[in-house]
Amino acid sequence: MTTPLVSVRDIHVEIDTRRGLLKALRGISFDVEEGASVGIVGESGSGKSIALKAILGLLPKNARMTSGEIWINGVQINALPKNEQRKVITSNIGMIFQDAIAALNPVMTIGKQITEIPIYNLGWDKERAKSYALEIMNLVGIPEAERRFEVYPHQLSGGLRQRIAVAIALSGQPKVLFCDEPTTSLDVTIQAQVLKLLMDLRETKGTGLVFVTHDLAVVNEICDDLKVMYAGRLVETGAVASIFDSPSHPYSYSLLKAVPDVDHPVERLFSITGEAPDLTEPVVGCPFSPRCFASDATCEKSEPNLVLSGDKMAACYHSSTFLRAEGK
Amino acid sequence: MKSSKVSFYFGVGLFATLALVAVLAPLIAPYDPIAQDLLHTLANPSTQHLLGTDQLGRDVMSRLIWGARIDLTIGVLAVLLPFIVGTLLGLISGWRGGLFDTLLMRFVDITIAFPFYVLAIALVVVLGAGAKSIIIAISLVGWVAYCRIVRANVLVTKELDYIHAAKLSGLPTRRILLKHIFPNVISQAIVFSMSDIVLSILAIVSLGYLGLGIPIPTPEWGSMIQEGQAYILAQWWIATIPGVMVVLTGLSLSLIGDGLVKRLDH
Repeated sequence: MTTPLVSVRDIHVEIDTRRGLLKALRGISFDVEEGASVGIVGESGSGKSIALKAILGLLPKNARMTSGEIWINGVQINALPKNEQRKVITSNIGMIFQDAIAALNPVMTIGKQITEIPIYNLGWDKERAKSYALEIMNLVGIPEAERRFEVYPHQLSGGLRQRIAVAIALSGQPKVLFCDEPTTSLDVTIQAQVLKLLMDLRETKGTGLVFVTHDLAVVNEICDDLKVMYAGRLVETGAVASIFDSPSHPYSYSLLKAVPDVDHPVERLFSITGEAPDLTEPVVGCPFSPRCFASDATCEKSEPNLVLSGDKMAACYHSSTFLRAEGK
Repeated sequence: MKSSKVSFYFGVGLFATLALVAVLAPLIAPYDPIAQDLLHTLANPSTQHLLGTDQLGRDVMSRLIWGARIDLTIGVLAVLLPFIVGTLLGLISGWRGGLFDTLLMRFVDITIAFPFYVLAIALVVVLGAGAKSIIIAISLVGWVAYCRIVRANVLVTKELDYIHAAKLSGLPTRRILLKHIFPNVISQAIVFSMSDIVLSILAIVSLGYLGLGIPIPTPEWGSMIQEGQAYILAQWWIATIPGVMVVLTGLSLSLIGDGLVKRLDH
Protein backbone atom coordinates (compact mmCIF):
# COMPACT_ATOMS: atom_id res chain seq x y z
CA MET A 1 0.00 0.00 0.00
CA THR A 2 1.26 3.47 -0.85
CA THR A 3 1.62 6.20 1.74
CA PRO A 4 -1.53 8.29 1.94
CA LEU A 5 -1.19 11.92 0.83
CA VAL A 6 -2.61 13.22 4.09
CA SER A 7 -2.65 11.19 7.23
CA VAL A 8 -4.07 12.44 10.50
CA ARG A 9 -3.39 10.48 13.67
CA ASP A 10 -5.38 11.01 16.84
CA ILE A 11 -5.36 14.80 16.90
CA HIS A 12 -6.77 16.75 19.80
CA VAL A 13 -7.45 20.46 19.55
CA GLU A 14 -8.46 22.70 22.42
CA ILE A 15 -9.88 26.19 22.08
CA ASP A 16 -9.63 28.74 24.85
CA THR A 17 -13.05 30.35 25.13
CA ARG A 18 -14.70 32.66 27.59
CA ARG A 19 -16.61 29.74 29.05
CA GLY A 20 -13.51 27.61 29.51
CA LEU A 21 -11.44 25.14 27.52
CA LEU A 22 -13.44 23.77 24.62
CA LYS A 23 -12.32 20.38 23.33
CA ALA A 24 -13.03 20.97 19.66
CA LEU A 25 -11.33 17.83 18.39
CA ARG A 26 -11.16 14.82 20.65
CA GLY A 27 -8.93 12.41 18.84
CA ILE A 28 -9.65 12.02 15.16
CA SER A 29 -7.69 9.94 12.67
CA PHE A 30 -8.13 9.54 8.97
CA ASP A 31 -6.23 9.16 5.71
CA VAL A 32 -6.70 10.83 2.37
CA GLU A 33 -5.23 8.85 -0.52
CA GLU A 34 -3.86 10.63 -3.55
CA GLY A 35 -6.67 11.45 -5.95
CA ALA A 36 -9.37 10.48 -3.47
CA SER A 37 -12.53 12.47 -2.91
CA VAL A 38 -13.49 12.66 0.71
CA GLY A 39 -16.49 14.38 2.25
CA ILE A 40 -16.57 15.48 5.87
CA VAL A 41 -20.02 16.27 7.21
CA GLY A 42 -21.46 17.25 10.55
CA GLU A 43 -23.46 20.03 12.09
CA SER A 44 -22.03 23.40 13.10
CA GLY A 45 -19.55 23.02 15.92
CA SER A 46 -18.83 19.37 15.21
CA GLY A 47 -15.23 20.28 14.48
CA LYS A 48 -15.08 19.72 10.74
CA SER A 49 -13.66 23.12 9.85
CA ILE A 50 -11.27 23.04 12.80
CA ALA A 51 -9.96 19.71 11.53
CA LEU A 52 -9.11 21.27 8.16
CA LYS A 53 -7.53 24.28 9.83
CA ALA A 54 -5.45 22.08 12.12
CA ILE A 55 -4.02 20.22 9.16
CA LEU A 56 -3.24 23.46 7.34
CA GLY A 57 -1.71 25.14 10.37
CA LEU A 58 -4.37 27.86 10.26
CA LEU A 59 -5.80 27.39 13.74
CA PRO A 60 -6.94 30.63 15.37
CA LYS A 61 -4.71 32.14 18.05
CA ASN A 62 -6.78 30.81 20.94
CA ALA A 63 -6.70 27.23 19.64
CA ARG A 64 -3.90 24.72 19.86
CA MET A 65 -3.26 21.14 18.96
CA THR A 66 -2.49 19.33 22.19
CA SER A 67 -1.56 15.97 20.76
CA GLY A 68 -1.59 13.93 17.58
CA GLU A 69 0.36 13.66 14.37
CA ILE A 70 -0.20 15.12 10.93
CA TRP A 71 1.59 13.52 8.00
CA ILE A 72 1.58 15.04 4.55
CA ASN A 73 3.13 13.09 1.71
CA GLY A 74 5.17 11.00 4.13
CA VAL A 75 6.46 13.95 6.20
CA GLN A 76 5.30 14.52 9.74
CA ILE A 77 4.67 18.24 9.55
CA ASN A 78 3.79 19.03 13.14
CA ALA A 79 7.35 18.05 14.07
CA LEU A 80 8.82 20.60 11.65
CA PRO A 81 9.54 24.30 12.22
CA LYS A 82 6.80 26.66 11.00
CA ASN A 83 8.40 27.73 7.72
CA GLU A 84 9.28 24.15 6.76
CA GLN A 85 5.68 23.15 7.51
CA ARG A 86 4.41 25.76 5.07
CA LYS A 87 6.59 24.42 2.27
CA VAL A 88 5.24 20.91 2.65
CA ILE A 89 1.65 22.09 2.99
CA THR A 90 1.86 24.49 0.05
CA SER A 91 3.34 22.00 -2.35
CA ASN A 92 0.65 19.45 -1.60
CA ILE A 93 -2.56 21.19 -0.58
CA GLY A 94 -4.60 24.01 -2.07
CA MET A 95 -7.44 25.58 -0.14
CA ILE A 96 -10.78 26.87 -1.35
CA PHE A 97 -12.67 28.98 1.13
CA GLN A 98 -16.33 29.32 1.85
CA ASP A 99 -16.68 32.96 0.92
CA ALA A 100 -15.26 33.73 -2.51
CA ILE A 101 -15.56 37.44 -1.84
CA ALA A 102 -13.37 37.30 1.26
CA ALA A 103 -11.00 34.86 -0.42
CA LEU A 104 -9.76 37.43 -2.92
CA ASN A 105 -7.69 40.49 -2.14
CA PRO A 106 -9.86 43.40 -3.30
CA VAL A 107 -6.97 45.69 -4.22
CA MET A 108 -4.91 43.26 -6.28
CA THR A 109 -5.58 42.27 -9.87
CA ILE A 110 -6.72 38.73 -10.56
CA GLY A 111 -3.54 38.05 -12.50
CA LYS A 112 -1.26 39.16 -9.69
CA GLN A 113 -3.10 36.92 -7.26
CA ILE A 114 -2.91 33.86 -9.46
CA THR A 115 0.76 34.34 -10.34
CA GLU A 116 1.84 35.16 -6.80
CA ILE A 117 2.45 31.62 -5.61
CA PRO A 118 4.28 30.47 -8.77
CA ILE A 119 6.52 33.55 -8.64
CA TYR A 120 7.26 33.60 -4.92
CA ASN A 121 7.17 29.94 -4.04
CA LEU A 122 8.07 28.08 -7.19
CA GLY A 123 10.53 30.79 -8.28
CA TRP A 124 9.13 31.14 -11.77
CA ASP A 125 9.66 34.25 -13.88
CA LYS A 126 6.71 36.50 -14.72
CA GLU A 127 6.28 35.23 -18.28
CA ARG A 128 6.08 31.61 -17.28
CA ALA A 129 3.78 32.35 -14.33
CA LYS A 130 1.47 34.33 -16.59
CA SER A 131 1.16 31.67 -19.25
CA TYR A 132 0.53 29.09 -16.55
CA ALA A 133 -2.06 31.36 -14.92
CA LEU A 134 -3.87 31.79 -18.24
CA GLU A 135 -3.78 28.04 -18.66
CA ILE A 136 -5.45 27.38 -15.31
CA MET A 137 -7.90 30.22 -15.87
CA ASN A 138 -8.96 28.43 -19.04
CA LEU A 139 -9.04 25.16 -17.15
CA VAL A 140 -11.44 26.50 -14.51
CA GLY A 141 -13.63 27.92 -17.26
CA ILE A 142 -13.00 31.65 -17.13
CA PRO A 143 -13.83 33.11 -20.53
CA GLU A 144 -11.59 35.88 -21.91
CA ALA A 145 -8.81 34.97 -19.50
CA GLU A 146 -6.39 37.41 -21.09
CA ARG A 147 -8.67 40.37 -20.38
CA ARG A 148 -9.71 39.13 -16.93
CA PHE A 149 -6.06 38.82 -15.96
CA GLU A 150 -5.96 42.59 -15.52
CA VAL A 151 -9.21 43.18 -13.63
CA TYR A 152 -9.98 43.46 -9.94
CA PRO A 153 -12.21 41.03 -8.02
CA HIS A 154 -15.13 43.45 -7.65
CA GLN A 155 -15.47 43.60 -11.42
CA LEU A 156 -16.42 39.93 -11.56
CA SER A 157 -19.59 38.01 -10.73
CA GLY A 158 -19.86 35.67 -7.75
CA GLY A 159 -19.47 32.53 -9.84
CA LEU A 160 -16.41 33.86 -11.62
CA ARG A 161 -14.88 34.88 -8.30
CA GLN A 162 -15.25 31.38 -6.94
CA ARG A 163 -13.60 30.10 -10.14
CA ILE A 164 -10.75 32.55 -9.59
CA ALA A 165 -10.46 31.26 -6.02
CA VAL A 166 -10.17 27.74 -7.43
CA ALA A 167 -7.56 28.96 -9.91
CA ILE A 168 -5.52 30.52 -7.08
CA ALA A 169 -5.78 27.31 -5.07
CA LEU A 170 -4.52 25.42 -8.14
CA SER A 171 -1.70 27.85 -8.88
CA GLY A 172 0.67 26.10 -6.47
CA GLN A 173 0.07 22.80 -8.29
CA PRO A 174 -1.38 20.99 -5.25
CA LYS A 175 -2.19 17.29 -5.22
CA VAL A 176 -5.36 17.80 -3.23
CA LEU A 177 -7.83 20.65 -2.77
CA PHE A 178 -9.30 21.31 0.65
CA CYS A 179 -12.72 22.86 0.26
CA ASP A 180 -14.47 24.48 3.19
CA GLU A 181 -18.11 24.69 2.08
CA PRO A 182 -17.10 26.25 -1.23
CA THR A 183 -20.63 26.33 -2.61
CA THR A 184 -22.59 27.58 0.39
CA SER A 185 -22.44 31.24 -0.61
CA LEU A 186 -23.35 30.61 -4.24
CA ASP A 187 -26.73 30.27 -5.89
CA VAL A 188 -27.83 26.88 -7.11
CA THR A 189 -26.85 27.11 -10.77
CA ILE A 190 -23.39 28.45 -9.92
CA GLN A 191 -23.09 25.77 -7.24
CA ALA A 192 -23.65 23.11 -9.85
CA GLN A 193 -21.05 24.69 -12.14
CA VAL A 194 -18.42 24.85 -9.42
CA LEU A 195 -19.08 21.24 -8.37
CA LYS A 196 -18.80 20.14 -11.98
CA LEU A 197 -15.52 22.04 -12.25
CA LEU A 198 -14.11 20.29 -9.19
CA MET A 199 -15.17 16.91 -10.53
CA ASP A 200 -13.61 17.66 -13.92
CA LEU A 201 -10.37 18.69 -12.24
CA ARG A 202 -10.24 15.43 -10.41
CA GLU A 203 -10.81 13.53 -13.61
CA THR A 204 -8.38 15.42 -15.83
CA LYS A 205 -5.60 16.34 -13.39
CA GLY A 206 -6.12 13.74 -10.70
CA THR A 207 -6.52 16.46 -8.07
CA GLY A 208 -7.93 14.97 -4.89
CA LEU A 209 -10.71 16.65 -2.96
CA VAL A 210 -11.46 17.00 0.71
CA PHE A 211 -14.87 18.50 1.06
CA VAL A 212 -16.17 19.93 4.30
CA THR A 213 -19.88 20.64 4.07
CA HIS A 214 -23.23 20.09 5.66
CA ASP A 215 -24.86 19.56 2.33
CA LEU A 216 -25.36 15.82 1.96
CA ALA A 217 -26.56 16.16 -1.61
CA VAL A 218 -23.21 17.66 -2.57
CA VAL A 219 -21.37 14.82 -0.87
CA ASN A 220 -23.44 12.25 -2.71
CA GLU A 221 -22.65 14.03 -5.95
CA ILE A 222 -18.90 14.29 -5.81
CA CYS A 223 -17.39 12.24 -2.96
CA ASP A 224 -16.37 8.61 -2.78
CA ASP A 225 -15.63 8.47 0.91
CA LEU A 226 -17.59 10.00 3.72
CA LYS A 227 -16.63 10.92 7.27
CA VAL A 228 -19.36 11.93 9.67
CA MET A 229 -18.30 14.07 12.61
CA TYR A 230 -20.09 14.68 15.85
CA ALA A 231 -18.89 16.51 18.95
CA GLY A 232 -15.25 16.61 17.87
CA ARG A 233 -14.99 12.98 16.85
CA LEU A 234 -15.59 10.81 13.83
CA VAL A 235 -18.72 8.76 14.39
CA GLU A 236 -18.88 6.99 11.07
CA THR A 237 -16.59 6.57 8.07
CA GLY A 238 -16.97 4.57 4.90
CA ALA A 239 -17.91 4.67 1.25
CA VAL A 240 -20.55 7.29 0.47
CA ALA A 241 -22.82 4.84 -1.30
CA SER A 242 -22.64 2.37 1.55
CA ILE A 243 -23.43 4.95 4.24
CA PHE A 244 -26.24 6.46 2.19
CA ASP A 245 -27.61 3.00 1.63
CA SER A 246 -27.41 1.72 5.20
CA PRO A 247 -25.89 3.98 7.81
CA SER A 248 -24.22 2.34 10.78
CA HIS A 249 -24.61 5.21 13.20
CA PRO A 250 -27.92 6.68 14.37
CA TYR A 251 -26.53 10.19 13.79
CA SER A 252 -25.74 9.53 10.13
CA TYR A 253 -29.10 7.85 9.79
CA SER A 254 -30.87 10.88 11.29
CA LEU A 255 -28.94 13.30 9.10
CA LEU A 256 -29.91 11.37 6.00
CA LYS A 257 -33.49 11.12 7.12
CA ALA A 258 -33.64 14.87 7.63
CA VAL A 259 -32.93 15.47 3.93
CA PRO A 260 -36.15 16.13 2.01
CA ASP A 261 -36.91 13.55 -0.64
CA VAL A 262 -38.54 14.77 -3.84
CA ASP A 263 -39.97 11.36 -4.65
CA HIS A 264 -41.55 10.82 -1.24
CA PRO A 265 -42.70 14.17 0.05
CA VAL A 266 -43.75 14.20 3.68
CA GLU A 267 -45.89 16.57 5.73
CA ARG A 268 -43.19 17.28 8.24
CA LEU A 269 -39.45 16.76 7.84
CA PHE A 270 -37.61 14.57 10.29
CA SER A 271 -35.44 16.52 12.71
CA ILE A 272 -32.89 15.64 15.34
CA THR A 273 -34.15 16.91 18.67
CA GLY A 274 -31.99 18.61 21.25
CA GLU A 275 -28.69 20.36 20.81
CA ALA A 276 -25.09 19.33 20.24
CA PRO A 277 -23.27 18.82 23.55
CA ASP A 278 -21.28 21.59 25.20
CA LEU A 279 -17.67 20.57 24.64
CA THR A 280 -16.36 22.72 27.47
CA GLU A 281 -17.89 20.05 29.74
CA PRO A 282 -16.32 16.60 30.01
CA VAL A 283 -18.03 14.02 27.79
CA VAL A 284 -19.50 11.08 29.66
CA GLY A 285 -20.85 8.22 27.61
CA CYS A 286 -21.85 8.57 23.97
CA PRO A 287 -22.20 12.32 23.25
CA PHE A 288 -25.08 11.62 20.89
CA SER A 289 -27.09 9.49 23.34
CA PRO A 290 -29.31 12.32 24.71
CA ARG A 291 -30.59 12.94 21.17
CA CYS A 292 -30.53 9.36 19.99
CA PHE A 293 -33.62 7.24 19.40
CA ALA A 294 -31.71 4.02 20.00
CA SER A 295 -29.82 4.86 23.16
CA ASP A 296 -30.04 2.77 26.32
CA ALA A 297 -28.14 2.40 29.60
CA THR A 298 -24.92 1.13 27.93
CA CYS A 299 -24.63 4.33 25.90
CA GLU A 300 -24.46 6.51 28.98
CA LYS A 301 -21.63 4.58 30.65
CA SER A 302 -18.75 5.06 28.28
CA GLU A 303 -18.03 6.67 24.94
CA PRO A 304 -17.97 4.15 22.08
CA ASN A 305 -14.89 3.96 19.85
CA LEU A 306 -14.81 3.76 16.10
CA VAL A 307 -14.99 0.06 15.26
CA LEU A 308 -15.52 -1.95 12.12
CA SER A 309 -19.18 -2.48 11.33
CA GLY A 310 -19.66 -4.33 8.05
CA ASP A 311 -17.82 -2.39 5.33
CA LYS A 312 -17.79 0.80 7.42
CA MET A 313 -16.47 2.07 10.73
CA ALA A 314 -18.90 3.39 13.29
CA ALA A 315 -18.75 4.59 16.87
CA CYS A 316 -21.96 3.12 18.22
CA TYR A 317 -22.76 0.20 20.51
CA HIS A 318 -25.85 -0.54 18.50
CA SER A 319 -24.48 -0.03 15.00
CA SER A 320 -25.78 -3.32 13.70
CA THR A 321 -29.10 -3.32 15.52
CA PHE A 322 -30.46 0.23 15.74
CA LEU A 323 -32.01 0.13 12.27
CA ARG A 324 -34.11 -2.85 13.29
CA ALA A 325 -35.20 -1.00 16.41
CA GLU A 326 -36.30 1.86 14.19
CA GLY A 327 -38.44 -0.63 12.30
CA LYS A 328 -36.56 -0.76 9.01
CA MET B 1 -21.66 65.10 -12.19
CA LYS B 2 -22.90 64.11 -8.75
CA SER B 3 -22.83 66.78 -6.07
CA SER B 4 -20.40 64.76 -3.94
CA LYS B 5 -17.96 64.79 -6.81
CA VAL B 6 -18.44 68.53 -7.29
CA SER B 7 -17.59 69.21 -3.65
CA PHE B 8 -14.59 66.86 -3.85
CA TYR B 9 -13.15 68.68 -6.86
CA PHE B 10 -13.99 72.02 -5.25
CA GLY B 11 -11.97 70.93 -2.20
CA VAL B 12 -9.08 69.80 -4.37
CA GLY B 13 -9.16 73.06 -6.32
CA LEU B 14 -9.29 75.18 -3.20
CA PHE B 15 -6.43 73.34 -1.53
CA ALA B 16 -4.38 73.41 -4.71
CA THR B 17 -4.85 77.19 -4.90
CA LEU B 18 -3.75 77.62 -1.29
CA ALA B 19 -0.77 75.35 -1.87
CA LEU B 20 0.12 77.29 -5.00
CA VAL B 21 -0.03 80.56 -3.08
CA ALA B 22 2.27 79.05 -0.45
CA VAL B 23 4.75 77.79 -3.03
CA LEU B 24 4.79 81.01 -5.03
CA ALA B 25 4.88 83.29 -1.96
CA PRO B 26 8.20 84.96 -2.88
CA LEU B 27 6.88 85.79 -6.36
CA ILE B 28 3.37 86.96 -5.61
CA ALA B 29 3.70 88.74 -2.27
CA PRO B 30 3.73 92.45 -3.07
CA TYR B 31 5.96 93.44 -0.13
CA ASP B 32 8.54 91.97 2.21
CA PRO B 33 6.35 90.48 4.96
CA ILE B 34 8.58 91.66 7.78
CA ALA B 35 9.52 95.10 6.43
CA GLN B 36 8.18 97.72 8.81
CA ASP B 37 6.91 101.11 7.77
CA LEU B 38 6.30 102.99 10.98
CA LEU B 39 4.98 106.03 9.14
CA HIS B 40 2.05 104.07 7.74
CA THR B 41 0.82 101.83 10.55
CA LEU B 42 -2.71 100.43 10.62
CA ALA B 43 -3.49 101.80 7.16
CA ASN B 44 -6.87 100.98 5.66
CA PRO B 45 -7.00 98.85 2.49
CA SER B 46 -5.93 100.81 -0.55
CA THR B 47 -4.54 100.14 -4.00
CA GLN B 48 -1.05 100.21 -2.46
CA HIS B 49 -1.85 97.83 0.40
CA LEU B 50 -4.80 95.68 -0.66
CA LEU B 51 -5.48 94.56 2.90
CA GLY B 52 -3.94 97.55 4.64
CA THR B 53 -1.03 97.41 7.06
CA ASP B 54 -0.69 96.24 10.65
CA GLN B 55 0.45 98.05 13.80
CA LEU B 56 4.06 98.04 12.57
CA GLY B 57 3.17 99.11 9.07
CA ARG B 58 3.76 95.65 7.56
CA ASP B 59 1.68 94.71 4.51
CA VAL B 60 -1.10 92.36 5.71
CA MET B 61 -1.55 90.79 2.27
CA SER B 62 2.11 89.81 2.07
CA ARG B 63 2.09 88.41 5.60
CA LEU B 64 -1.00 86.39 4.76
CA ILE B 65 0.69 84.88 1.70
CA TRP B 66 3.91 84.06 3.52
CA GLY B 67 1.88 82.75 6.44
CA ALA B 68 0.27 80.20 4.12
CA ARG B 69 3.72 78.88 3.38
CA ILE B 70 4.60 78.39 7.05
CA ASP B 71 1.25 77.04 8.20
CA LEU B 72 0.66 74.62 5.33
CA THR B 73 4.21 73.25 5.41
CA ILE B 74 4.13 72.58 9.13
CA GLY B 75 0.56 71.30 8.91
CA VAL B 76 1.46 68.72 6.27
CA LEU B 77 4.76 67.72 7.89
CA ALA B 78 3.12 67.37 11.30
CA VAL B 79 0.73 64.84 9.74
CA LEU B 80 3.14 63.00 7.48
CA LEU B 81 5.48 62.02 10.28
CA PRO B 82 2.85 60.58 12.66
CA PHE B 83 1.11 58.99 9.65
CA ILE B 84 4.23 56.99 8.78
CA VAL B 85 5.18 56.10 12.34
CA GLY B 86 1.62 55.31 13.46
CA THR B 87 0.85 53.20 10.39
CA LEU B 88 4.03 51.18 10.73
CA LEU B 89 3.53 50.49 14.43
CA GLY B 90 -0.17 49.76 13.89
CA LEU B 91 0.66 47.22 11.18
CA ILE B 92 3.16 45.39 13.35
CA SER B 93 1.05 45.62 16.47
CA GLY B 94 -2.09 44.27 14.79
CA TRP B 95 -0.26 41.53 12.93
CA ARG B 96 1.98 40.27 15.73
CA GLY B 97 -0.33 40.76 18.69
CA GLY B 98 1.01 39.44 21.97
CA LEU B 99 3.04 41.41 24.48
CA PHE B 100 4.25 44.01 21.98
CA ASP B 101 0.67 44.80 21.04
CA THR B 102 -0.51 44.95 24.65
CA LEU B 103 2.27 47.28 25.77
CA LEU B 104 1.97 49.54 22.75
CA MET B 105 -1.80 49.81 23.10
CA ARG B 106 -1.56 50.71 26.81
CA PHE B 107 0.96 53.40 25.87
CA VAL B 108 -1.48 54.64 23.22
CA ASP B 109 -4.27 54.68 25.80
CA ILE B 110 -2.17 56.79 28.15
CA THR B 111 -1.32 59.25 25.38
CA ILE B 112 -4.96 59.51 24.32
CA ALA B 113 -6.04 60.04 27.92
CA PHE B 114 -4.26 63.44 27.92
CA PRO B 115 -6.08 66.32 26.23
CA PHE B 116 -4.35 66.99 22.91
CA TYR B 117 -3.55 70.66 23.57
CA VAL B 118 -2.32 70.16 27.11
CA LEU B 119 0.19 67.62 25.87
CA ALA B 120 1.16 69.59 22.76
CA ILE B 121 1.64 72.82 24.73
CA ALA B 122 3.66 71.05 27.40
CA LEU B 123 5.90 69.53 24.75
CA VAL B 124 6.40 72.86 22.94
CA VAL B 125 7.25 74.54 26.23
CA VAL B 126 9.82 71.85 26.94
CA LEU B 127 11.26 71.81 23.42
CA GLY B 128 11.19 75.59 22.96
CA ALA B 129 9.13 77.55 20.43
CA GLY B 130 9.82 77.12 16.73
CA ALA B 131 8.72 75.16 13.71
CA LYS B 132 10.79 72.09 14.56
CA SER B 133 9.42 71.68 18.05
CA ILE B 134 5.85 72.21 16.86
CA ILE B 135 6.25 69.41 14.33
CA ILE B 136 7.84 67.15 16.94
CA ALA B 137 5.16 67.94 19.53
CA ILE B 138 2.23 67.31 17.19
CA SER B 139 3.88 64.15 15.86
CA LEU B 140 4.47 62.77 19.33
CA VAL B 141 0.80 63.23 20.16
CA GLY B 142 -0.65 62.46 16.74
CA TRP B 143 0.81 59.07 15.79
CA VAL B 144 -1.42 57.21 18.26
CA ALA B 145 -4.54 57.87 16.20
CA TYR B 146 -2.98 56.29 13.08
CA CYS B 147 -1.68 53.41 15.14
CA ARG B 148 -5.17 52.71 16.48
CA ILE B 149 -6.91 53.02 13.12
CA VAL B 150 -4.44 50.82 11.27
CA ARG B 151 -4.22 48.22 14.04
CA ALA B 152 -8.01 47.86 14.20
CA ASN B 153 -8.16 47.36 10.44
CA VAL B 154 -5.33 44.84 10.50
CA LEU B 155 -7.16 42.84 13.15
CA VAL B 156 -10.20 42.60 10.89
CA THR B 157 -8.29 42.03 7.67
CA LYS B 158 -5.95 39.36 8.93
CA GLU B 159 -8.88 37.05 9.64
CA LEU B 160 -10.13 37.29 6.06
CA ASP B 161 -9.75 34.28 3.85
CA TYR B 162 -7.34 35.84 1.39
CA ILE B 163 -4.90 36.44 4.21
CA HIS B 164 -5.36 32.84 5.36
CA ALA B 165 -4.79 31.80 1.78
CA ALA B 166 -1.66 33.93 1.53
CA LYS B 167 -0.32 32.52 4.80
CA LEU B 168 -1.21 29.02 3.69
CA SER B 169 0.56 29.46 0.39
CA GLY B 170 3.73 30.18 2.32
CA LEU B 171 4.34 33.71 1.10
CA PRO B 172 6.95 35.62 3.11
CA THR B 173 5.42 37.62 5.98
CA ARG B 174 6.85 40.85 4.63
CA ARG B 175 5.06 40.34 1.35
CA ILE B 176 1.76 39.48 3.06
CA LEU B 177 2.01 42.61 5.18
CA LEU B 178 2.98 44.93 2.33
CA LYS B 179 0.91 43.54 -0.53
CA HIS B 180 -2.12 42.01 1.13
CA ILE B 181 -2.64 43.80 4.43
CA PHE B 182 -1.24 47.29 3.90
CA PRO B 183 -3.24 48.35 0.81
CA ASN B 184 -6.42 47.14 2.48
CA VAL B 185 -5.99 48.95 5.77
CA ILE B 186 -4.52 52.24 4.63
CA SER B 187 -7.60 53.96 3.19
CA GLN B 188 -9.14 54.90 6.53
CA ALA B 189 -5.84 56.30 7.73
CA ILE B 190 -5.58 58.43 4.59
CA VAL B 191 -9.09 59.78 5.06
CA PHE B 192 -8.33 60.55 8.68
CA SER B 193 -5.11 62.32 7.72
CA MET B 194 -7.14 64.86 5.73
CA SER B 195 -9.04 66.00 8.79
CA ASP B 196 -5.87 65.61 10.81
CA ILE B 197 -4.08 68.22 8.68
CA VAL B 198 -6.90 70.60 9.56
CA LEU B 199 -6.41 69.80 13.24
CA SER B 200 -2.67 70.26 13.06
CA ILE B 201 -3.00 73.60 11.24
CA LEU B 202 -5.46 74.65 13.92
CA ALA B 203 -2.94 73.53 16.52
CA ILE B 204 -0.17 75.58 14.92
CA VAL B 205 -2.45 78.60 14.71
CA SER B 206 -3.56 78.11 18.32
CA LEU B 207 0.01 77.74 19.53
CA GLY B 208 0.89 80.87 17.54
CA TYR B 209 -2.01 82.69 19.13
CA LEU B 210 -0.78 81.62 22.57
CA GLY B 211 2.68 82.93 21.74
CA LEU B 212 4.13 79.41 21.60
CA GLY B 213 4.32 79.20 17.84
CA ILE B 214 6.81 80.40 15.30
CA PRO B 215 8.83 83.25 16.86
CA ILE B 216 7.89 86.72 15.64
CA PRO B 217 8.33 88.47 13.28
CA THR B 218 7.93 85.46 10.97
CA PRO B 219 4.47 85.77 9.39
CA GLU B 220 2.07 83.11 10.64
CA TRP B 221 -1.74 83.14 10.71
CA GLY B 222 -2.06 82.41 14.43
CA SER B 223 0.22 85.21 15.57
CA MET B 224 -1.44 87.53 13.03
CA ILE B 225 -4.81 86.89 14.66
CA GLN B 226 -3.30 87.40 18.09
CA GLU B 227 -1.60 90.67 17.12
CA GLY B 228 -4.63 91.91 15.23
CA GLN B 229 -7.19 91.37 17.96
CA ALA B 230 -6.18 94.59 19.73
CA TYR B 231 -7.44 96.54 16.68
CA ILE B 232 -10.49 94.39 16.00
CA LEU B 233 -12.94 97.32 16.34
CA ALA B 234 -11.22 99.73 13.96
CA GLN B 235 -9.28 97.42 11.61
CA TRP B 236 -11.27 94.18 11.89
CA TRP B 237 -9.71 92.62 8.79
CA ILE B 238 -6.24 92.28 10.31
CA ALA B 239 -7.38 89.52 12.66
CA THR B 240 -10.32 88.22 10.63
CA ILE B 241 -8.73 87.52 7.26
CA PRO B 242 -6.12 85.07 8.65
CA GLY B 243 -9.01 83.34 10.43
CA VAL B 244 -10.86 83.07 7.13
CA MET B 245 -7.75 81.51 5.60
CA VAL B 246 -7.72 78.85 8.33
CA VAL B 247 -11.40 78.14 7.69
CA LEU B 248 -10.81 77.88 3.92
CA THR B 249 -7.92 75.45 4.44
CA GLY B 250 -10.03 73.39 6.81
CA LEU B 251 -12.96 73.41 4.43
CA SER B 252 -10.90 72.30 1.45
CA LEU B 253 -9.33 69.40 3.32
CA SER B 254 -12.64 68.30 4.82
CA LEU B 255 -14.22 68.23 1.36
CA ILE B 256 -11.30 66.17 0.07
CA GLY B 257 -11.63 63.81 3.04
CA ASP B 258 -15.37 63.36 2.47
CA GLY B 259 -14.81 62.74 -1.21
CA LEU B 260 -12.15 60.13 -0.44
CA VAL B 261 -14.48 58.31 1.96
CA LYS B 262 -17.08 58.01 -0.79
CA ARG B 263 -14.53 56.82 -3.34
CA LEU B 264 -12.77 54.34 -1.11
CA ASP B 265 -16.05 52.84 0.01
CA HIS B 266 -16.59 51.38 -3.43
